[in-house]
Amino acid sequence: MGAGELSRELKVENEYGIHARPAALIVKEAGRFSAEIYLEKDGNRVSCKSIMGLMTVEGFPGSRVRVSASGADAEAALDALEALFVANFHES
Amino acid sequence: MREITVQALLDHGKDTLKLKVLAGESFLGRKVQETAMNRPGLALTGFFTYFAHQRLQIFGLAELTYLKNLSVEERRSRLEALFKRQIPGVVLTRNRRATREMLELAAAYRVPVLRTSMVTMDFVNACTVMMDELTTPTKRVQGTTLELMGIGVLMRGDPGIGKSETALALIERGYSLVSDDVTECRRTSRGRVLCWANNVTRYHMEIRGLGIIHVPSLFGVSAIRRQTELDLVIDLTVPTGEEDRTGVAQETVDILGVNVPLITLPVRSGRDMANIVEVAALNQKLKELGHDAAKELDDKIIDRLSGVGRGRR
Repeated sequence: MGAGELSRELKVENEYGIHARPAALIVKEAGRFSAEIYLEKDGNRVSCKSIMGLMTVEGFPGSRVRVSASGADAEAALDALEALFVANFHES
Repeated sequence: MREITVQALLDHGKDTLKLKVLAGESFLGRKVQETAMNRPGLALTGFFTYFAHQRLQIFGLAELTYLKNLSVEERRSRLEALFKRQIPGVVLTRNRRATREMLELAAAYRVPVLRTSMVTMDFVNACTVMMDELTTPTKRVQGTTLELMGIGVLMRGDPGIGKSETALALIERGYSLVSDDVTECRRTSRGRVLCWANNVTRYHMEIRGLGIIHVPSLFGVSAIRRQTELDLVIDLTVPTGEEDRTGVAQETVDILGVNVPLITLPVRSGRDMANIVEVAALNQKLKELGHDAAKELDDKIIDRLSGVGRGRR
């Protein structure tokens, strides 16, 4: 964990977990911010700006992940990502 | 160093070690403290000085034949002396059956007993390699790995800088993809870094605007490589103007305690990155063969200058 890094624990609650589509949504959302944003689960830390990375963390439904951000807009980035998780990646 | 259990050997060695559990299935969680094997030999005669009890105990033809020639009581007491020393597990080679005493002692002293169809020497070799793989440090790095003419190249850089696009252009030129964006690394016993892809996303790439593609389906099996030894790390960066222009100073980056040559390449629009990465790999190969173009030219100039300084032309 770097200095000035903010982090939040988020729960994966959509039907299939972090598969390609949610991963793409996370990347898209994270890409709007200049902050460095990472997602961590079971010791695996990947960039939230990498689809391939996100698909390797095995974010199955019901699992908890830690999202952390550092940079000027870190707080806003975490808010945006949390909203995405809470909205179940807009799955109906 | 990571710890390993007998279970880990069983899981990872499904194809290579041909292990089968004979007894003590519930004790497979036992830790193998020393990643080596021991043939009990002398210990079966009752000599336990320097007995390597922290190692997996391998019973080959010699041990099993010796045991067979003992009386039942004798066999039991000799084996018990071994089992009660908290050994991590017992492996019988050549598909030999465990004696009844072994099965009983396995339960009594909570020691797993396994067998393999391999001959002792082959098993010891394969198991040594497996233990090494399971205990050496590993790390996941953010970057795309390719193999170019036998040179393992890891490209790193901020998201969106063009790692995957550069990799794609290199694959089109006939080079091979190892992993896109997420690379798993392990230090080998030879002090090299071995790179491979995550099981889930292996041989897939994500290209902006295209989405996810499967490389072997598009480019054939020659476009992929399961793993590669790392020779060079290339960092793609936003130009700063501080880049090394001569290539005389060889920078390195520490990956799992191994110093890997590092090149920092500034990315500018219109610059053919694939071409530059290709040349960087070739140049690295040349350096490994003992030719360092930058240094050779520099030496030549220095030599010339000192000659001129002394009045020689």
